[in-house]
Amino acid sequence: MTANEVRLCGLLLREHFGEVVEKVGTHLLKNGPETLRTIIHETGMPLDQVKKSLCVLMQQGACTFCSGRKGPGSPAEYCANGDRILRILRYPRYIYTAKTLYGDTGELIIEELLQRGHLTMSETVKTVADRLTQNMEEGRSMDYSEVSSSFSKLVETHFLQRCPPVGVEKKASSSDNPAPPVTNPESAESFPDCYKVPHVTLIGRGKRPLVTEDGEEQRNAKKRKLDAQAHGDEGIYWQVNFERFHLHFRDQTIISAVANKLDQTSSEIVRTMLRMSEVTTAPLAPSTKPLSANEIFRSLPSSYSIQRQILDQYLSLLVDDPMEFVGKAGESGGGMFVVNLHRALANLARATLESVVQERFGSRSARIFRLLLRTRHLEQKQVEDFAMIPAKEAKEMLYTLVSENLVQLQEVPKTPDYAPSRTFYLYTVNQLPTARMLLQNCYKSVGNLIERRLFETKESKRLLEKSQRIEAILASLQASGAEPEQLTEVEEMITAAEKQQLSALRLHVNKLDSAENQVDETIFLLESYIFSTSLTG
Amino acid sequence: MAEVKVKKEKGVLDPAEVEKRIKELCEQFPQGITDHVIQNDMPHLEPQQRAGAINRLLSLGQLDLLRNSSGLLYRLKDTQGSRALVEKGVRSRDIRFKSNLPLTEINKILKNLESKKLIKAVKSVAVSLNSCRCSRANTLNVLRVLLLLSKIFGSTRLGPGPCLTVEVRVSQVDLSMEDIETILNTLIYDGKVEMTVIVAKEGTAGSVDGQMKLYRGVNSITAPTGLVKTPCGLCPVFDDCHDGGEISPSTCIYLSEWLDF
Ligand code: SF4
Repeated sequence: MTANEVRLCGLLLREHFGEVVEKVGTHLLKNGPETLRTIIHETGMPLDQVKKSLCVLMQQGACTFCSGRKGPGSPAEYCANGDRILRILRYPRYIYTAKTLYGDTGELIIEELLQRGHLTMSETVKTVADRLTQNMEEGRSMDYSEVSSSFSKLVETHFLQRCPPVGVEKKASSSDNPAPPVTNPESAESFPDCYKVPHVTLIGRGKRPLVTEDGEEQRNAKKRKLDAQAHGDEGIYWQVNFERFHLHFRDQTIISAVANKLDQTSSEIVRTMLRMSEVTTAPLAPSTKPLSANEIFRSLPSSYSIQRQILDQYLSLLVDDPMEFVGKAGESGGGMFVVNLHRALANLARATLESVVQERFGSRSARIFRLLLRTRHLEQKQVEDFAMIPAKEAKEMLYTLVSENLVQLQEVPKTPDYAPSRTFYLYTVNQLPTARMLLQNCYKSVGNLIERRLFETKESKRLLEKSQRIEAILASLQASGAEPEQLTEVEEMITAAEKQQLSALRLHVNKLDSAENQVDETIFLLESYIFSTSLTG
Repeated sequence: MAEVKVKKEKGVLDPAEVEKRIKELCEQFPQGITDHVIQNDMPHLEPQQRAGAINRLLSLGQLDLLRNSSGLLYRLKDTQGSRALVEKGVRSRDIRFKSNLPLTEINKILKNLESKKLIKAVKSVAVSLNSCRCSRANTLNVLRVLLLLSKIFGSTRLGPGPCLTVEVRVSQVDLSMEDIETILNTLIYDGKVEMTVIVAKEGTAGSVDGQMKLYRGVNSITAPTGLVKTPCGLCPVFDDCHDGGEISPSTCIYLSEWLDF
């Protein structure tokens, strides 16, 4: 993990779980796997605090432990999972996606699971139903069965998955610290898929009657009741399948890129292709399984009323497009087509790099940058000529780009003494390292934004507390039926200036929040691109 | 007395006014006007008077006489050559073409205008690669036309097809295929145009060695990415910014300005 990533992880942990957890988490990230004793020793924190922090981290799946390196019987070592911590940054996007796909119920299910790390199905369903009931009008309530059907839908579409059984064991044992012999958690993670679907239906069916029964009793349940009743799914914990969400994000990005580049109809075609291959294509495959034009035609939503010939034309247009989102894989069945997932990611990442250069250094520098991206090695003179930019300006732009590490300079000496007069200086752009660098910049930027947000809220802490107190007083007064004068009196305890400050603060925080989410989109794209190259290369 | 007055009002308009009116008409129709237009505009004008006025304008060099299929056309001449200069930037050679003034005269006018800061001289970018001296203004013209064409046709064929003839005529300088390709390439590097190579039958217009290059204007595939929408993505002191440092996120003025924007 780079320093930027560790810093961002720390900030995220601080924001969501407090400073103590942050301390333990960053310590683990910096130092790698450690035993409980060393953690306590090196952080100088009391035993129970460290233990609790580790518990929190483990509950979130942000920390794992394995038996010590010194062979069986040695104390367990804890090790933090930085990538998992960085996922916290994307929580809003997961929740939002769940909302758009599965409505309020889906949103709450994902939110609960994200907040609590992992839960059993019955727990989730109950909590979510209670929360939904709370927001409904008096006398109405949410049926458990509805929630659980949403839950099973999420499982069917792989947005939720069962924690690997080791994880369950892990959780049960994390309270007593000397770990029991644990098998390596990695091995369980590697085949989670076979756990997913079959067990789901089983559990969904087995449990549902019990839940509905409960639902009858607690129709108007406002409080969460902890009944010890067995639901038949004890020990089966569920977690959010981030990978599946990421695939969804990736598909959305590709679709919207096609829509931007070509038009709505072609993006619908690509959407259909992606949807058809959702189940059949392995998550990490470089392209989707081939689909014949006939199949695509049959699966197109009828509302789009695209004719067969038009579909063929669109497909050949997509295939001919230099972005190569869609490729042709064969001729049978009216032509077999695939979506080039990795190629698309690479192209999108390239567009991202280009847009960064364009925004930071202007369109002429972007021209040079694109030129270099497309032609690999060029001499300075050639850059000037091809880009049609006067020598002086071109030189300046090139040097700025080199100093920002966006463009690399390669020396090719004619003689072994590297004499400048007898050396070719070639400029190049390496997409992958540049993407890596930008990714680090993104981490740092998000870190800065969070830092600033925490700072802003801290600055106005007193004010925030005051306004909260007053709101509480107002609410209680209203409940007890106080006089209107009394209410206005309390309201006036916040001055106009303070009110203004509060609204400014709210504005700032929102702006920073949305900026964080935007940067996260860039992060997502770059991460997926870098990951995809690691698979093929 | 009274008679004379009436006659003047009705029939004989002041020659100066007639000339002014003709010039106005010419300005209204920059592509040129015919005799009929003048006649319709000023029905009271007698033919001799009209001819006199036009002849005077012609002899003063303020009007151009052109001939087309429907008869004679009068067009306003650019006496100062300055109108051509507006916004686009132009080469002195083109000014000479347009205004029909001697070169020395033009140089004098240009110097004069330059000293008044009304115009300024711009060095042209030579595409030395192809040893073609095509000036920036021309490049821009070609680009503009190309973009336009590609907007209209979806894709523009590069080659001696009909589209290209238009371009060449606009640019006034004979551009070779390579020149235009260079220009198109810069457009590709600008991300505004993209090229597809397709197989073409030998002998089809625009095909070279059985290939044909197709160009078309494109939209970018992504909006500016999220990173550059934040101040940090564009920050000049990004690398010097650290928590608790001299430049830090909590005290950063870029962020403050952006937040209060
Ligand atoms: S916080 Fe301010 S100084 Fe630091 S990188 Fe961002 S914009 Fe630049």
